[in-house]
Amino acid sequence: MNQHKKGLVVWIGIVLLLLAGALLAGPGDRVETVQETMRDAVLHNVNRISLLGLKEVNPGLISAFLVTIILLIAAALIRIFAVPRFRYIPGKLQLLLEQAVGLFDNMARGASPHRFRFVGAYIFAAGAFIFVGTLFELLGIQVVTVGGHPITLPAPLSDVNAAIALGTLSYLVILSGGVAANGVKGVGKTLKEFSLPISMSFRLFGALLSGLLVTELVYYYVNLSFVLPVVVGVLFTLLHAVIQTYVLTMLTSMYYGEVSEPSPPKPKKKKQASSPAEHA
Amino acid sequence: MPWPLNIDPQQILLHWMNLAILVGGLYFLLYKPVKQFMAKRDEHYRELDQQAQDKLLQADRIQAEYKEKLEGAEEEIRQSRAKAQQSLQQSVQEQLDQAQAQAELIVSRAHADAERTREQALYDSQQDIRRLAETAAKRLALHEDPFDQFLDLAEGGTDHESK
Repeated sequence: MNQHKKGLVVWIGIVLLLLAGALLAGPGDRVETVQETMRDAVLHNVNRISLLGLKEVNPGLISAFLVTIILLIAAALIRIFAVPRFRYIPGKLQLLLEQAVGLFDNMARGASPHRFRFVGAYIFAAGAFIFVGTLFELLGIQVVTVGGHPITLPAPLSDVNAAIALGTLSYLVILSGGVAANGVKGVGKTLKEFSLPISMSFRLFGALLSGLLVTELVYYYVNLSFVLPVVVGVLFTLLHAVIQTYVLTMLTSMYYGEVSEPSPPKPKKKKQASSPAEHA
Repeated sequence: MPWPLNIDPQQILLHWMNLAILVGGLYFLLYKPVKQFMAKRDEHYRELDQQAQDKLLQADRIQAEYKEKLEGAEEEIRQSRAKAQQSLQQSVQEQLDQAQAQAELIVSRAHADAERTREQALYDSQQDIRRLAETAAKRLALHEDPFDQFLDLAEGGTDHESK
């Protein structure tokens, strides 16, 4: 009981100390104003990063590459060490992997029962990219910009280029499903939904950007960095990682299923025998 | 002229390349092997289920066969029992007949023995009577009044019978 009380006192002391520190520290030397920070968070046109000395790119692209590398390394490790040890009665990791694969596979089967193999694989990868990419910002990996300032790498999809790339790629996947199932008719069906790439791209961008802006705002003012980042930074990020993953994968598989549904054959028009009166 | 919102087609293409690598890599490294394993397990359990169904059918068939055999065995038992009962009855009847015949034989022998004994007794008694008569006649003729002798003899004979 005494130990519990001691622990409680220590914990409260640490919390109060941190609060006092946060309040007393005050704002540091600002490199940029809040307006510039917000603008850069949206446009990524100030803090750019050199891509292997070839080109200056948005930090979102670096994040995207890192997310891909992390995912592929994890997948390779799982493939080498975990998959050969799979058992008919699964362990925890196997259960998690089977649930993840089964989730997207079942989503593809449900939304696109005629063709689901390719779209299943695509939404699995896209879902993994969105989910891990959104959580990636929690890692807070620091890089140095071409201007020499350190910045934290954002979520890849908070960059409009990444969102457009994913939205348009999803649209192309949907188009490919239409072509594979219905040929030229499939192209027509897909082109009917011409607003889809824009809506998907900017939905992703908007959702991720809003989270990023709120996080940037919170971190900009150090006085807000007490307790609030736990909710804003972690819970919100987790929540919209799940939501955005679900939304994009569901939309892609649904539209894919719609355009890849085989068209019913047109009923042949029977030639009506002309009546004798008409001949007359 | 720069694109609005800092949109950069080159970076979009780089993102596409990145996504293409990711889709292919995740498909070959994770999605396909896990799906293959899941399909293999489904197949395994489907086979087990099929085997169980087959065994169930086989068990049902064997049960039906045994039931049929059991019913046949009951009929067989009933027939055997009837046959055994019939055989028993026949055996009992034979034994009865034999006993009857034996009894008749014994009775007939007993009758014959009794007849022979009676005849023997009759013969013996006749012989005795004759001998007595001879003895009496001899005595009467040789020594005593025949009437007294007769009386003595008669009294002695009564004594002899009472003994």
